[in-house]
Amino acid sequence: MADTKLFINGEWVEAASGESFPTYAPSTGEKIADVAKAGRDDAVKAINAARTAFDDGPWRRLSGKERAEKLRKVAEIINGRSAEISEIEARDGGGTIKKAMFADVPGGAGSFSFFADCAENEPDVIDRGTNPFPVATSTVRREPIGVCSGIVPWNFPFIMASWKIAPAIAAGNSVILKPASFTSLSAVEMVKACEEAGIPPGVVNLVTGPGGSVGEELAQHPDVDKVAFTGSTEVGRRIMQLASGNVKKVTLELGGKSANIVLDDADLDLAAAGVLWGTFFHNGQVCESGTRALVSRKIYDEFVGMLVERAGKIVLGDNMEMTTDLGPLVAPAQVDTVERYVKLGLDEGAKLLCGGSKPTNLPAGLDASAFYLPTIFEADNSMKIAQEEIFGPVLCVIPFDSDDEAIKIANDSIYGLGGGVWSTNSDRANNVAAEMRTGTVWINDYHMITPGQPFGGYKQSGIGRELGDYGYNEYRQIKHVWQNTATDRSGYMHFAALSGNI
Amino acid sequence: MKIEGTEAAAQVVERAKRDRRGALVFTIGTGCCESTAPFLYEDFWPGPDHEEVGVVADVPVFAPAYLRALYPANDGVTIDVEEGLMAESMSIETEYGCRFVLREPGGAKAPGQDSEVCAVPDETSALRSRGTQELPEALRRIRMR
Repeated sequence: MADTKLFINGEWVEAASGESFPTYAPSTGEKIADVAKAGRDDAVKAINAARTAFDDGPWRRLSGKERAEKLRKVAEIINGRSAEISEIEARDGGGTIKKAMFADVPGGAGSFSFFADCAENEPDVIDRGTNPFPVATSTVRREPIGVCSGIVPWNFPFIMASWKIAPAIAAGNSVILKPASFTSLSAVEMVKACEEAGIPPGVVNLVTGPGGSVGEELAQHPDVDKVAFTGSTEVGRRIMQLASGNVKKVTLELGGKSANIVLDDADLDLAAAGVLWGTFFHNGQVCESGTRALVSRKIYDEFVGMLVERAGKIVLGDNMEMTTDLGPLVAPAQVDTVERYVKLGLDEGAKLLCGGSKPTNLPAGLDASAFYLPTIFEADNSMKIAQEEIFGPVLCVIPFDSDDEAIKIANDSIYGLGGGVWSTNSDRANNVAAEMRTGTVWINDYHMITPGQPFGGYKQSGIGRELGDYGYNEYRQIKHVWQNTATDRSGYMHFAALSGNI
Repeated sequence: MKIEGTEAAAQVVERAKRDRRGALVFTIGTGCCESTAPFLYEDFWPGPDHEEVGVVADVPVFAPAYLRALYPANDGVTIDVEEGLMAESMSIETEYGCRFVLREPGGAKAPGQDSEVCAVPDETSALRSRGTQELPEALRRIRMR
């Protein structure tokens, strides 16, 4: 029997097959739970429940203010259980407890609070003025889309789940969430909070299990109106194709190979810390990580020296300790990927400046096969390690001679998700930011994502935006209501277009 | 770019062929959590710049232009399969509790290079003592997301 179940139509149920799959703590390799393994039938049941809840249930008929009250209650419950959920999140995914406590759990609660505000404050009915002839008023109504499915990755399981559930239900939709197989546990806690807050049955559904069947069904089923996905670019293409069957709305947040540009007038102390934070936070398992540091040749030697020296001070260890900077990667398989790229980088002639191996002196009791040292290469932008997303703690440092060259290198990527500019000259930094073909640019900062501001990608990094009013409106239809105010035949266009005979 | 498959990978493909009615296709894609990896899909439409770079158990393997440019030679890249893992790739084999991976010749392992510069500092050995589980003061004021 599984330790965690599926949540379908307001009930916690075993998978139809009765099967489960294990989830592990990557820091030690120990199994921490058996998770119900949903199959295609379970996905269809969840979709049916969501459909009925949307078509016949009360949720979409509540006022925005009433829905907002429920979402705020979810946030309150999450915050009240912060310590417990943080521990689950960190243990299951390998992120540090520090990250879980200051980013993941408050971030997840923050999404519910923010989208509660949207539900309450964003207008549902908008007066669009009058049309001169035929004389008519125009009104736009913003309405929920219907049944939304959300498929999320393992790097920020709790926050990603909140980005899919909160805006969807705030706008009056119903939702089916599929967490990543590596990290299902914190999503269970989020759904429990929704249940406890009194969100009606069928509005929030949870199916844990492999993507090959469940994910496919969530992306293609004709009763799903919108699919939102965060993950790999190729999977995004797959989802678009599956979703095309009945022309679902699709929002995708995909890969990245973001550039962190250090201009010659940057505050080098802050920039060095910012580049390391931009790359190595959560071991680089962040889609918008600044994994390419473009560094002005005027300050190159000094700056790269700072990076290498400080990278050696990043503390690897038990992710459940508050003093640990970096824990394990999500699984030993992810370390295999990193090793493969380190070898490819060396084969292509990239110069290894530090790292390049697993740590050798971890505290006893930790599974060294899931850890990797922060690694810095001096590379050329045409190399595989500078073009492909590794999703691990690997930074490519690339020199440039002019701002224009930095922009050109930054944009020489199939992706456009994040990016940074470090400079003490605001105009210069903003000019560079304006030329970067990417969905977010941080000037003199990195990784700052906040519920109130839009996040998403250019190019092959995605479609649409999450967060902010932009993200909220991805979950709302646009209905134009035209009301002719004429009282006789003179006020209509169609008599002229056809004739007065009709 | 020329990609081949191991016997183990071919066996998983054969199983997928029995389970699926549509045409199977491997696509080599990249980005985010999977990094560059093989994905086995049913009735998948390769993109306009995709070309066939190999065949595994009679199933064609496609790769986009930018990846073919990065791997111009016959690098000996193979599709293999690892047991006991589920990717979130929506690739068919995730249903079987395994996942396809790419391997370069000579295996996945990098030459063991212990860099002195980036060696883990000795303080980590002190981490066995269970530290306080309170947020540091500096972080209490921060709400990152």
